[in-house]
Amino acid sequence: MKFIDPHHDQWRTVGGEDGPMSHPPIKSYSLLTLGQWHAVREQWPAQGSADYKPVGVILPNDTDIEVLEADTAKLALVVLQFPKWVDGRAYSQAHILRARYRFTGEIRATGEVLVDMMPLLARSGFDAVALRSDQDRAAAERALGFFAARGHYQGDIKVTKPVFGRAA
Amino acid sequence: MYQYTEFDKQFVRQRAAQFRDQLERNLAGKLGDDEFRPLRLQNGWYVQRHAPMLRVAVPYGEMSSKQIRQLAKIAREYDRGYAHFTTRQNVQYNWIPLAKSADVMDLLAEVNMHGIQTSGNCIRNITADAMVGVAEDEIIDARPYCEVLRQWSTLHPEFAFLPRKFKIAVSGAKEDRAAIYWHDIGLQLVKDDEGEVGFKVIVGGGMGRTPITGTVINSFVPWQQILVYIEAIVRVYNRYGRRDNMYKARIKILVKAEGQKFFDQVNQEFSNILTRDVDGAAHIIPQAEFDRVNVGFSYPESVKAYTPAGNGLPADASATDKTQFTKWLERNVKGHKVQGYKNVHLSVKRVGQAPGDVTDAQMDAIADMADRFSCGELRVTHDQNVLLPFVREEELFALWQAAKPATLASANIGLLSDMIACPGGDFCALANARSIPIANDLIERYQDLDELYDIGDIDLHISGCINSCGHHHTGHIGILGVDKDGTEWYQVTLGGSDGSDHAPTSLVGKVIGPSFAADEVTDVIEAVIETYKGQRAANEKFIDTVKRVGIDPFKAAANAVRRTTAKAA
Repeated sequence: MKFIDPHHDQWRTVGGEDGPMSHPPIKSYSLLTLGQWHAVREQWPAQGSADYKPVGVILPNDTDIEVLEADTAKLALVVLQFPKWVDGRAYSQAHILRARYRFTGEIRATGEVLVDMMPLLARSGFDAVALRSDQDRAAAERALGFFAARGHYQGDIKVTKPVFGRAA
Repeated sequence: MYQYTEFDKQFVRQRAAQFRDQLERNLAGKLGDDEFRPLRLQNGWYVQRHAPMLRVAVPYGEMSSKQIRQLAKIAREYDRGYAHFTTRQNVQYNWIPLAKSADVMDLLAEVNMHGIQTSGNCIRNITADAMVGVAEDEIIDARPYCEVLRQWSTLHPEFAFLPRKFKIAVSGAKEDRAAIYWHDIGLQLVKDDEGEVGFKVIVGGGMGRTPITGTVINSFVPWQQILVYIEAIVRVYNRYGRRDNMYKARIKILVKAEGQKFFDQVNQEFSNILTRDVDGAAHIIPQAEFDRVNVGFSYPESVKAYTPAGNGLPADASATDKTQFTKWLERNVKGHKVQGYKNVHLSVKRVGQAPGDVTDAQMDAIADMADRFSCGELRVTHDQNVLLPFVREEELFALWQAAKPATLASANIGLLSDMIACPGGDFCALANARSIPIANDLIERYQDLDELYDIGDIDLHISGCINSCGHHHTGHIGILGVDKDGTEWYQVTLGGSDGSDHAPTSLVGKVIGPSFAADEVTDVIEAVIETYKGQRAANEKFIDTVKRVGIDPFKAAANAVRRTTAKAA
């Protein structure tokens, strides 16, 4: 799990004078809203091409993750949101991104991201978190350690097979 | 019983260690109460009126004598000598201080018990028919499937913060004793034309403010695919269930609002998992895994069919003993799959004890009786009693004699005094009114066994609020506590049904007029019962009379006994 330090984060949202810029320029580490992304995705160079620039999208948790299905190859980052930490919709978004769309870029959790969500996030496909500012990183790392030795009953994004499907 | 593996044991210990870490952070001020709350809830810790309440999971109600002895010890040393059996077959404590909670979790882990997902907006403890595996009318033993489901749902990372709680019940018998149409998901084990085992899947049932019975979403899901099918249902619910209003957040509201669209989404999701996802078929249950789990549910070695020579009643037994024992046989003893064995209900419903409450001494006595008469196994029933599942017919009299001094021999199973009640306002912070005083008054009023037998089979259910933990909607007589201007009032409903053989169509009871005052309730129930006695045809059960004559005569009789509410009405 990567812990994001907001003061040393290379990703930048692209704001204008009146909220997000409607047609953001093609620039490395641009973190776009879905609307911005839709405005520029056709022009955005494909990953692997010489002029590719890493691009990310922030997706609200009530938006169908299906809207990103066709774009997973171009995106380097998908930021999913926990407006309230007990609102678990983003876990399903992350799960589908990884399991169904084979998304290999970063999936970052933002919003009310708390220490005790760590195991759930890691197992649902998140690999980066921006902890809420009052959260203790050491406790978050400790939270990842429980159950680590023997794992869980059901399969997840990290260990896709359930305990009955794994070698003993 | 399911035999815990080393994996299962270390898992429960890890959970206890994780909880201790969370508790210590909370006590040290590093984890705020609001943020600790959902975490402790998912370990069974609520905060109630007097102290936190702990709900211990009893998967599909099955327990060993060793486990209930440990529960007795916890009641004695950490509570005030009590525990409470719930309608979802769990066990609750009401007086354990939160600071001791991690110690109690360790004690539970010693006997393979825990409070995982007994609360919170997650997949709750899976329930079943209390006679699962031993019922005479059983087609398929549901326990191995329940256990596989329990393991799959335990700490599922994607489904820990659903819009609302999520309850699954499973039945493998002809009679639905698990109220499967009243759950978020109800599963009925069936066989298809080729004899293959599968599940009829029912979705969207529930009680609470909006009581709705479930709808069949799929008439046959092969058992191997059931985890995947449930994953599909829960994922659609997690994504689209309402989160703006907690009273509209259960899956029943989504199913009702979306109808066929919801079914289509689930079936599409099911297909997507299997055909598109990385290792999407990994949760198809292999025969070997079923067999591994199932082996724990084979009958104890000593349980073999035989022809019993009577039930142990001595020829020189007193007339009183003979009468009482015969009544007990009639009410509390049920048929068994194995010839020569019986299922015996130990009733905890008696004067002076709230429905479902049990003392540490009673729990120890239950453990002793389970060891002596039932191969060390017992069940918590949906009706908040105890069932001993392996009693030799020849030992029935000896068991009855052992149950009497422990005050566990009330011959009232299925009768009026065997009522279901939630803990209500005496303990529960959510309740609008108290349940226990109402239950106690009724139990006191209806002590005469002859009278109870004359009234016959009847389900009386009491909830202290609309959350319906006492299942008032499904009571043939339902009593619901409501709060108006800080005073307790009680709404009475008639004709509800949980779907069991008494009235096999699951129905919501009908309200018989404005709420009654607390001091009127016993008289109202008496008026309702007297009306039944006056109106019934020969051998007609209460519920059938209500169905035949409608609620009006009952309503009139109930209105006639209004005192406090007479002016208002």
